[in-house]
Amino acid sequence: MTTTAIPSVAPSERSASWVPVAWALAQRSLVTTLRVPAAVVPLVAMPMFFVIAFSGSFSRLSDLPSFPTDNVLDWFVPFGVVQGAAFAGFGTGFGTVRDIETGFFDRLLLAPGSRAGLFVGPVIASIVRTTFTVAVVLALGFALGATLPGGALGLLAIWAAAMGMAVIATGWALGLVFRVPNQRAGPILQIGIFFTTFLSTGNVPLPDQIGWTRPIARLNPLTNILELSRQGFLGDVTWRTTWPGLVAIAGTTAVLWVFAVTGLRKLTP
Amino acid sequence: MTVAVLDPHEVRIGRRQAVAQASALARRSIRGTIRQPQVWLPGLLFPMFIAAVNTSTMGKAVEFLPGFEGVDSLLDFLLPASITQSVLFGGLTAGSDTATDIQTGFFDRLLASPVSRTSILVGRLAGASVTGAFQAVVFMAIYGAFGVRVAAGLPGALLLIVYAMVLALVIGGFAAMLALRTGSAEAVQNVFPLTFIGLFISSAFFPTSSMSGLYRSIATRNPVTWMVDGMRHQVIVGLDWGEAATSIGVAAGLAVLAIYGAQRALRTRLRRAA
Repeated sequence: MTTTAIPSVAPSERSASWVPVAWALAQRSLVTTLRVPAAVVPLVAMPMFFVIAFSGSFSRLSDLPSFPTDNVLDWFVPFGVVQGAAFAGFGTGFGTVRDIETGFFDRLLLAPGSRAGLFVGPVIASIVRTTFTVAVVLALGFALGATLPGGALGLLAIWAAAMGMAVIATGWALGLVFRVPNQRAGPILQIGIFFTTFLSTGNVPLPDQIGWTRPIARLNPLTNILELSRQGFLGDVTWRTTWPGLVAIAGTTAVLWVFAVTGLRKLTP
Repeated sequence: MTVAVLDPHEVRIGRRQAVAQASALARRSIRGTIRQPQVWLPGLLFPMFIAAVNTSTMGKAVEFLPGFEGVDSLLDFLLPASITQSVLFGGLTAGSDTATDIQTGFFDRLLASPVSRTSILVGRLAGASVTGAFQAVVFMAIYGAFGVRVAAGLPGALLLIVYAMVLALVIGGFAAMLALRTGSAEAVQNVFPLTFIGLFISSAFFPTSSMSGLYRSIATRNPVTWMVDGMRHQVIVGLDWGEAATSIGVAAGLAVLAIYGAQRALRTRLRRAA
């Protein structure tokens, strides 16, 4: 199905506030998630599996010379949280495909409200979904033996990293879905997230990486976001480790949200 | 859709004719796979990507961690894992294609024609097995270009190919069983996460001696570990018929179970169709 034949409403005519649209879309996304149990499973099962599998398979990685902790869970639980946040954001953005395919999105584009709601709604839904994912994965991590010497600030740092990642992933998913408005966007979205997470310090810190991934991981913004999320698990929370993570979130969000906004323009010429 | 299904008891096919039919269906299966690069290419590229990333990010592990004795590079260690991963993913395609044949009605047309019922299954599994051999050759060639040598030489390389072929029967058989039971390609693809879990909780990516606790206990009892370790021995240490027999024997045992299950599922579907 195509959306191109439908005349869009001129910006000057969109006088209605975007806030109710954003809330309605967020609520709709969350209700859809709750009504489809199969959609909840990847939301929590995948990051939980990654925490268990990575900390189980690679439990002796902590013997590497530059590994910053003896407890491998303190390394992999934040990774699982950030990965879970990425998949929560991706899932929300990808849900838009269904709306496009069923024609619901066409009706939204015809509505007189501001289009900002079409972006803010999925972000709100992503943040709620991610909060749930973060809570479940952290609970699992602590149950398995992860520690948080950074205390409340450490918790705040990982929450900020997870929310940032969710917003980034939502932007990536919406941008791609607006350009590839069908189910084929799914594998591309997943591959994008897998590449980004594997080509970072997800598994091993930079000094212990020996090959071609090291320069990529150094430049990958996710490396800084992971450092932001991990600092409370590895020691005290410091501004020196926090600000690069926040800058990485802000920069990547800006780039991917431009990608999303220009994608919507392509969808509605 | 209603089709005239020939009664299995009335389908009297000579052995030579059955082999010819199975061969034709196997060729169709292989051609179908070749024509869908979007289906098989990820199965080759994804394991290579994982191996390339792990070799770079965790390459130091071979120097510092237990279980890597005699390993020069993590890529040597990962060759049997990559073949296993690729064949597991690729074997699901065979099952999906069977389900697609059911969904599109091709399966019904086969049942309405004087084709040996066993040939339908054998053809599909033979196609998967040949694809498995191809995958093993591709991995050995590409990893060989990056310095990986099979310590057991040509016999070891042949053993890896045989292993890949038998493993393709295992996953192809289970996938075909699921396809015949459900008739849904989506249901077959839903098995993908399970194969991923089975692969991860094994020695495929890291040795069990570097694991601990319950995870290690499960990994050491996982048949994937028994299969991968036997083949890894050929790559890293050298030719060992005992290790090879364990590896291929476990795969063959699972293949018998899978094919038996698929055969039963086929009979059930035939009964329902008759």
